[in-house]
Amino acid sequence: MENKDFEFDKEEQDLWEQLGKINTPNPSPASRTRFYAMLDTYQNELESKKEKSFQAVFERLKQAFQYKPAYNWAYALVLLALGGMIGYFSGKTTANETLANRETVEQLSSEVQEMKQMMMLSMLENPTATERLKAVSYTQELSTVDDQVIDALLTTLNFDQNENVRLVTLEALIQLAHHPKVREGLVQSLLKQESPLMQVALADAMVKLQEKRSVKQFKKLLKKDNLNNSVKSKIEKTIQVLS
Amino acid sequence: MLSVKADNLDKMGLLFERYHRVLFAFLYHSTGQAAISEDLVQTVFYRMLKYRHTFTGDGEFRTWMYHLARNVLNDYFKKNQRVIYQEDITSISERNQAEPSADFQLEKKQESEALHQALAKLSPEYREVLILSRFQELSYQEIADVLKTSEGNIKVKVHRAMKELKNIYLKSSSTL
Repeated sequence: MENKDFEFDKEEQDLWEQLGKINTPNPSPASRTRFYAMLDTYQNELESKKEKSFQAVFERLKQAFQYKPAYNWAYALVLLALGGMIGYFSGKTTANETLANRETVEQLSSEVQEMKQMMMLSMLENPTATERLKAVSYTQELSTVDDQVIDALLTTLNFDQNENVRLVTLEALIQLAHHPKVREGLVQSLLKQESPLMQVALADAMVKLQEKRSVKQFKKLLKKDNLNNSVKSKIEKTIQVLS
Repeated sequence: MLSVKADNLDKMGLLFERYHRVLFAFLYHSTGQAAISEDLVQTVFYRMLKYRHTFTGDGEFRTWMYHLARNVLNDYFKKNQRVIYQEDITSISERNQAEPSADFQLEKKQESEALHQALAKLSPEYREVLILSRFQELSYQEIADVLKTSEGNIKVKVHRAMKELKNIYLKSSSTL
C-alpha cells in the first residue's frame, strides 16, 4: 500500500523509495518451534487449571456433606426446618379444596342428622319404654328439629302410656320452646293429661315459659270433676302467677 | 481470533503463521535487534492468549495485534532504558542470503546501513509511524486506529518524520 498522498521533495521522495526497498530479515525457524512449545504449555496449564478447579469444587462438596459431630445442633435444626416445611406444604390445601371439603362435611352431617331423626322416630314407636326414653333423649342431640319431630314428640307427650316417657318428653319439649308449634302443643296438652304428676309438671313448665295463653286452659282444667286437690291448688297458684 | 477467544486455542497456530513475520518486522525495525524481536514476538503471542477475552471483534485483528505489540515494546524499552535502538545490520545479510551479485549486495548493504542509522536516530514517535506506514504497509487510517488518533494527524506526522529523516540522512552522508 502506497500511503504517500502529499508532496515530498526530490530527496524525500528518494528516501521514501529507499525505505520501501530495505530488506527485513526473516525470523529464525526456531521461533516457530518456540511458539508451538509455548502454546502447548499454555494449553496444558489451562487444562490442569480446569481440572484443579473441578477437583476443588468436588472436595468442598465432599467436605460439606461429611458428618461433623460439632454441628449436631445445626443438623437437628435443618431436619426440623425440613420437617416443618414438608408438613406445611403437604397440609396446605387450595381454597377450592377447602370449599369442597366443607361441602362434603356439611352433606355428611346433614345425612347423619337425617339418620338420627329417622332412628328417633322409629324408636319412639318401640314397645319398650326404655327405648322410647332413649329416643326422646336423642332429640337433644339434633341441631335442628323439623315439624315431623315436633309432631312425634307432642304425640308421645299426649298419648304415651308410660308416665316417665311423657315427663322426659315434656323436658325435651321445654328445650324446644322457642318453636311456636311446641308452645301451642304444650298449652293444648294441658287438657289431655290425666296424670296429676304431668299436670303439675305442665303447670311448672307454663310458669317457666311464662305462657299466658295457658290460663284459659288451666281454668278449663279446674272445672274438671276428678281433679286432684293438690293439683287444683297448684293450678290456682299458677293462674295467679301468670295473670 | 474469535475462535481463539472461545478457547479454541489450536486456531492460534493459524494466526501465528499468518502474522508472525509482519510482527517480527515491526519489532525488528523498532528495536534493531533480531534476537530480541523474536523474543518479543513470543511475548506478543503469549499476551494474545492471555488477554484473548479482551478482543471484542469490533475492530480489525491487526489493529489489536499492533496495540499489544506497542505495549510489549514500551515494556521492553522501560525495562532496558539504556537500550533505545541498536542496529544489528549483520543479521540482515546473514538471514537473507539470496542476493544477485557481490557489488549489488555491497551497495545495498551500505544504503541500508545508512538509512537504518538515520532511522535509528529518529525520535521513537516518528520512527513508529514510518515503520507502520512504509514497512508494515498499514494505511493512514489503520495507523490512526492503532495509535488512537486521527488520520490527518498521522499524515502530518509521516510528513514531518520524512523531513527529519532526510536531515539526519544528509548529515550522516556528508560526514562520511
